[in-house]
Amino acid sequence: MNDGPLIVQSDKSLLLEVDHPRAGEARRAIAPFAELERAPEHVHTYRLTPLGLWNARAAGHDAEQVVAVLLEYSRYSVPHALLVDVAETMSRYGRLTLSQHPTHGLVLEATDRAVLAEVLKSKRTAGLVGERVDDLTVLVHPSERGHLKQVLVKLGWPAEDLAGYVDGEKHAIELTTTVPPRVPDGADPSDAPGKPWEMRPYQAQAVEGFWHGGSGVVVLPCGAGKTIVGAGAMAKSGTTTLILVTNTVSARQWRDELVRRTSLTEDEIGEYSGARKEIRPVTIATYQVLTTKRKGVYTHLELLDARDWGLVVYDEVHLLPAPIFRMTADLQARRRLGLTATLVREDGREDEVFSLIGPKRYDAPWKDIEAQGYIAPADCVEVRLTLPESDRMTYATAEPEDKYRLAASATGKNRVVEQIVAQHPDDQVLVIGQYIDQLEELAAHLDAPLITGATTVRERQRLFEEFRSGEINRLVVSKVANFSIDLPEASVAIQVSGSFGSRQEEAQRLGRIMRPKADGRTAHFYAVVARDTVDQDFAAHRQRFLAEQGYAYRIVDAEDLGISDTAQ
Amino acid sequence: MPSPSTPGGRTFSDALRSRSDEDLVALLLRRPDLGRPSPSTLRSLAARASSRTSIDRALVRLDVLEVQVLEAVVVLGEGSASPTGAPLDPTALLAALTEEAGDEPDADLVLAALDRLVEQALVWDAAARPGGPAVDLRPSPGLAEALGPYPAGLGPRGRRVPADLGRELADAPPGAREILAALTWGPPVGVAPTADPRGVTATRWLTERSLLLGSDERHVVLPREVALALRGGRTHARVDARPPRPEAPQRPEATVAAESADAAREIVRHVSHVVAAWRLDPPSVLRSGGLSVRDLRRLARELGTHDEAAVLAAELAFAAGLVADDGDDPPSYAVTVAATDWAEQTLSARWAVLTAAWGASPRTPWLVGTRDEKGARRSPLEQDMHRPWVVRLRRAVLDALAAQPGAALDEDAVLEVLHWHTPRAAPPAQAVRGLLREAEALGVTGVGALAPQGVELCRVLAGSPEPADGTEPTTAPVPIERAAGPGGGGGATAALAAALEGVLPPEVDDLLLQGDLTGIIPGRPSGDLERLVDAVAEVESRGAATTVRFTPDSVVRALDQGRGAEDLLTDLAAHSRTPLPQPLEYLVRDTARRHGRLRVGAAMSYVRAEDPVLLTGLVEDLSLRHLTLVRIAPTVLVAHAPAADLQDALRAHGLVSAVEGPDGRVLRTEDQHPPARPAPRRGGFRGRQVEVTSPRAAAERLVAQLRATGRTDDAQRTGPGPTTDGGDGPRRGGTDVGQGPWGGPERARVREGSGTTDPADALSLLREAIDAGTMVWLEVVGPQGSPARRRVRPVTLEAGRLRAQDLVRDAELTVAVHRIASVTLDLPDDPDDGSSA
Repeated sequence: MNDGPLIVQSDKSLLLEVDHPRAGEARRAIAPFAELERAPEHVHTYRLTPLGLWNARAAGHDAEQVVAVLLEYSRYSVPHALLVDVAETMSRYGRLTLSQHPTHGLVLEATDRAVLAEVLKSKRTAGLVGERVDDLTVLVHPSERGHLKQVLVKLGWPAEDLAGYVDGEKHAIELTTTVPPRVPDGADPSDAPGKPWEMRPYQAQAVEGFWHGGSGVVVLPCGAGKTIVGAGAMAKSGTTTLILVTNTVSARQWRDELVRRTSLTEDEIGEYSGARKEIRPVTIATYQVLTTKRKGVYTHLELLDARDWGLVVYDEVHLLPAPIFRMTADLQARRRLGLTATLVREDGREDEVFSLIGPKRYDAPWKDIEAQGYIAPADCVEVRLTLPESDRMTYATAEPEDKYRLAASATGKNRVVEQIVAQHPDDQVLVIGQYIDQLEELAAHLDAPLITGATTVRERQRLFEEFRSGEINRLVVSKVANFSIDLPEASVAIQVSGSFGSRQEEAQRLGRIMRPKADGRTAHFYAVVARDTVDQDFAAHRQRFLAEQGYAYRIVDAEDLGISDTAQ
Repeated sequence: MPSPSTPGGRTFSDALRSRSDEDLVALLLRRPDLGRPSPSTLRSLAARASSRTSIDRALVRLDVLEVQVLEAVVVLGEGSASPTGAPLDPTALLAALTEEAGDEPDADLVLAALDRLVEQALVWDAAARPGGPAVDLRPSPGLAEALGPYPAGLGPRGRRVPADLGRELADAPPGAREILAALTWGPPVGVAPTADPRGVTATRWLTERSLLLGSDERHVVLPREVALALRGGRTHARVDARPPRPEAPQRPEATVAAESADAAREIVRHVSHVVAAWRLDPPSVLRSGGLSVRDLRRLARELGTHDEAAVLAAELAFAAGLVADDGDDPPSYAVTVAATDWAEQTLSARWAVLTAAWGASPRTPWLVGTRDEKGARRSPLEQDMHRPWVVRLRRAVLDALAAQPGAALDEDAVLEVLHWHTPRAAPPAQAVRGLLREAEALGVTGVGALAPQGVELCRVLAGSPEPADGTEPTTAPVPIERAAGPGGGGGATAALAAALEGVLPPEVDDLLLQGDLTGIIPGRPSGDLERLVDAVAEVESRGAATTVRFTPDSVVRALDQGRGAEDLLTDLAAHSRTPLPQPLEYLVRDTARRHGRLRVGAAMSYVRAEDPVLLTGLVEDLSLRHLTLVRIAPTVLVAHAPAADLQDALRAHGLVSAVEGPDGRVLRTEDQHPPARPAPRRGGFRGRQVEVTSPRAAAERLVAQLRATGRTDDAQRTGPGPTTDGGDGPRRGGTDVGQGPWGGPERARVREGSGTTDPADALSLLREAIDAGTMVWLEVVGPQGSPARRRVRPVTLEAGRLRAQDLVRDAELTVAVHRIASVTLDLPDDPDDGSSA
């Protein structure tokens, strides 16, 4: 027994004691191969998964290093079976490689015959590969490069893709050093025209990690400046770029940010969305438009081949819809960058992200970036509201499918929200909810504007703009605001209802308020929950993610709200 | 071709009788079957020792070296086949076995093996007479037969001993040498060439010179003398004096200790769970015996493990006497009183009890799920899975591991070692695999190598008596080792516990509580802490550390156990270095607030009345206190007494009550609920109280008895005997030997000094006569049931038939052994009889 900070469990979880003097060192050592699962205050849990180990292999780490790190930092003897398993798993990566053969073109090469025989025997690879060149080599149809990689991961023999990328059409892109004066937006003082800026160290590392790896995913918390990582990658690439984002608002924010951070002008950036169909050297398209089908056919697929893209950027990879995966399978010859705050997918398709976009190239825990002062610290509070007798009776007798709605949109919540809002008179407050009628009621109560799916893009942008500038300091939004809207000065978010237990949604909502505040204020996140109902259970599930990310939350009773908050 | 080398020389049974008491005890210890049941005389002991069953049983336990030595004695020990024709002595034996004279260590091992064979009476020394050779080693009667037709790969005796084989072969036709070379080291039988003219010529040439014998039309066999000459007088190409040391990965000590400690903790947890779960809900015993698949699966699910581990947990609980068939109707597996004591002990003490029980258990849990001869699936805890040899095999497996410290021998490697130790009894690979897996699961080994506590187990097992042999079916579980008595029996378990204590990681009393409602114990939890988290949280991951999660359900469980919210929080805070996280505190308090809003209780009967005042009177009446009446509502009292008792008490009190049914109708009182199941208890679970006598003491007692009868017996013998003491005893029709310590009484009748009707003795006499070539009187029962006496010279005794020569009638006769009523040695009063050509 040495006195290390790490405890290695036989179920492949690694427990890192954060207060240990060598914790930082150990964290850096295990980060390349272990996935951070939860990071509460005392002990962080990492997990060894095949994908994680393969990611490490892709980043040039080998099993010996991994084993050595585990032995070095482990407090107790490391389970033997786990070491064997690590070596076994890691040795699987790289036995197969995809490469360009000078005469045969794209080939799958194996370092050992048995492995090649095993994968070729599988029914799943049938049709993806062509003739055998020799014992260790088989032809691959270039169009099946992505599919083959997907299948190989599923078979447990991930292929290293060394086949390279097309150069793509050259297009000079450079990062600015000062924010250009032409940008009208001045809400954030750090982004004021003429103000010098540079990439933060972790952003630069992320770009470097990605570029070195070829293709892959960069994991950064919300508010940590993923767009800048995208811009950095584009500058590095210096080619035409296709950017895929979740929705139109997000597309416009990307455009603004690119104009601010790069030498690109508005004319060089096209928007390909429901509203506009522009194809320019840098084109920003929404997932939705790409996945639109007419008569069973994807009508906008030509976009993918409209130019000789040198780089494809996927924003919010964890939300990538299935059809995009299929399309991505055909884009394997182009460099791909995925950006996300979490690799956790509620649908469990992490392996497709791995095989189609690429391995994880950079990852930084939220708390680390928060500690560096790049994202705002947040105080999370769950407010429990005891329902009045009448509501409880209605709830008790309701049909199971109506229960959540009844509990989540309990009228008592309005008063609680009012109370919270009253406690933050000088803050920019967002109220987020799921049910439109509830939100309408709240908007009326608070005398605040409401943004829902029915609000036009123009109207949305106007309201966001006013909110940013401080003209209005209360905004009620439905789930349309979940993704990629950029509200720099929102420092209080109040969640009144959510889509059941989605952890990922909770993280996104918290992300709304995590941009660093000009005055370094703490952000507040409130979730208002009806006591003793399914609302409370779902809330517990959602909060798990945040608690695991190290955001301590408190639970207060609605009745105590005034007291406990003034005590702060 | 039996040849009495020493005319009138002593026989095998003489040699046995001339042994010292100590040697006899040693023999009985080595071959316990000879003493069970107690033989009546030393002669019948000799008879038993040369019976095929006993010899086979002894052979089965020999190692490769012993078998090789034995083969050499069989081949060389009869004088005629040895190149010199001289009696076999250890020097000659060594020359035939070891490479060079200088090969000292091997020579010592060979001589030690020879000593063991002599001790076991598989080899005996026929030279005891003055003037004879100093040593004349011979195989015991019946041994050559038991060893098989080609000992050491040598064929039958030939017609002559080749004087100078080299010269003889000098003018052999081409191919002849190759044929001989192919057969030299055995097997000695080959197919005679028919097509190849060269081969045909060579074979014919060899056959003509008796260098090769035709065994049948198509086969030829190399005679023993020729083979020995070709082998240069050696019997074996190589003597395997030492057990093999198979290549195996070497495990670091720390890894072995850590892994075995983890396994030990896990198995104790599993068995503890079996005890706890079955205490609440005893699973029923299948009609065919054993535990049902459904109950097994449930156990596996609760343990969060696979079926195999669940089987082992149940089997260990059973072997250690923690659970047992309660014998009720219908029967179920109930927790015993011993389990309560067990559960209160420390981790290592609990482990030691399980491990000691495992070490002595003859059970074969790896057979669970396979089908028996009738095609029925074998279930855990089934009686049918007792195999007495398992105990011996387990020891052998552990010894094989102990011989290579730190090495992780796999199944094949262990089998290789075991094969050396008992080449004539190949252990079933399945059993070896099963035992290795059990050892790993139990923490006796870690990553395949024997852990320190495993070494201790080997030591404990080496000191325990050899288990009963396969003859008597054992029906009950082997008594757990505590049977040796309170305190004293603790010695072995205490040693085991101490050994485990040495590898267990230090206990940790800290619980790191976190805001996400998880807690982590960064090490092995202390008993207190483990009980606390088991009570109040769900365990998410176990291993070097334990991670737990607090959920509303887990807190409810703790509250159900009667703990209060404040009480829980205080306990948690006591183990936490940091203040309790607010969400956890909130969770416990909030759950406590909700806990108990609905109340459930048990009552056996109730009293209902419209008049609350009447009920108040009842509650306060001291004479009704035994009914424990509790008022749960103004007009309802509940009682902890059966309705009938309540009714009687109220009547006695002068109150006229009526009994009502569930629907409120007035009923007659009847149908008492059966009382709650009494705590299951069966005698003997604290370990069968068996009279433990050391095997040595038993053997010594038997030898003393044999000597006593032997003196009488010898006195009756008219022939010369090595022991001449003992006065003239009265001739008796029979000698009763009382109950021996090794089994029931055996009644044997010894008629005449040198004759017997005892079947085993008769066979032994016949074997001796065959070896010595002497004449016997045979009483044979004819087909009509009429006995006939014949004086014959026995030739062979095989497959239940005696072949003998009747010299008077000049005929050969074959008699089925079961028709021989008695055998009497025709003692060499007149010299002609004893020595025939």
